Amino acid sequence: MDSLENYDVVLFDSVSHAIKAEKVLKATGLPFKIVPVPKHISSDCGVCVRFLREQKDAVIAALTGQVDIREIRPFC
Amino acid sequence: MTKQIDARGLACPQPVILTKKALETENEIVVLVDNDIAVENVKRLGTNMGCSVDIDQPEAKTFRLDLKKASAQEPNACSLALEAALAVPTHGPFVIVIGENRMGRGSDELGYILMRSFIHTVLSLDPLPATVIFFNTGVKLAVKDSEVLDDLQELEAKGVKMLVCGTCVNFFGITKDVAVGTISNMYDIAETMSKAGRLVAP
Repeated sequence: MDSLENYDVVLFDSVSHAIKAEKVLKATGLPFKIVPVPKHISSDCGVCVRFLREQKDAVIAALTGQVDIREIRPFC
Repeated sequence: MTKQIDARGLACPQPVILTKKALETENEIVVLVDNDIAVENVKRLGTNMGCSVDIDQPEAKTFRLDLKKASAQEPNACSLALEAALAVPTHGPFVIVIGENRMGRGSDELGYILMRSFIHTVLSLDPLPATVIFFNTGVKLAVKDSEVLDDLQELEAKGVKMLVCGTCVNFFGITKDVAVGTISNMYDIAETMSKAGRLVAP
């Protein structure tokens, strides 16, 4: 596994958005992982999509028009 | 003469139970079984009970296990007292039981997300659990193509023991797909649960 510093996360407004994003991304075959939102970002019991930063453009392209993204941030 | 147990044709966990019973009175036994999972289960029990285990396959459908207690000595007052003291532990290992591939009731879709989040988060627990037990649909998390396989493999690499219910993977027809931990039996599972100091069930 790559160092965690090489990852970004996509944050959403709700868990339903994250579930939708998961379906969209699965269809593209891009590697990603649903993980709990890191504590330093939010103390909510939320989930987000973690992906390798080098695939950021592809992830954004896949989600655009499909799911509303709140924010993309470094994983740590 | 060495006691011989013919457990061929018996369903799991019968071979293990018979072996355990025999080892309570014998220092050396021979067990015959007819399948790989039974070989593994009997071998693990023997090792856990301090036996050396030699395995042989004299016939196509017969495996022979020779179990011999390493320190073949009569139980003395001290070891009996120790056993009694350990029978009901007040402190014991931290064990997580995963009896479903979902966390909580209500929405399966949400429950599946929560279970994956839970397993990912276990990686950052301190201390880590000693053992994670998977049964019923929980075993689906421990097979190849599981979306938490990477997390489980990382846990295993950190020394967390994983027991995957053999009856359950057999029921779902995924025995060959188990990709983490050890295929186990109700005997090991019940014993691990009963000896746990803390049992966490998400």
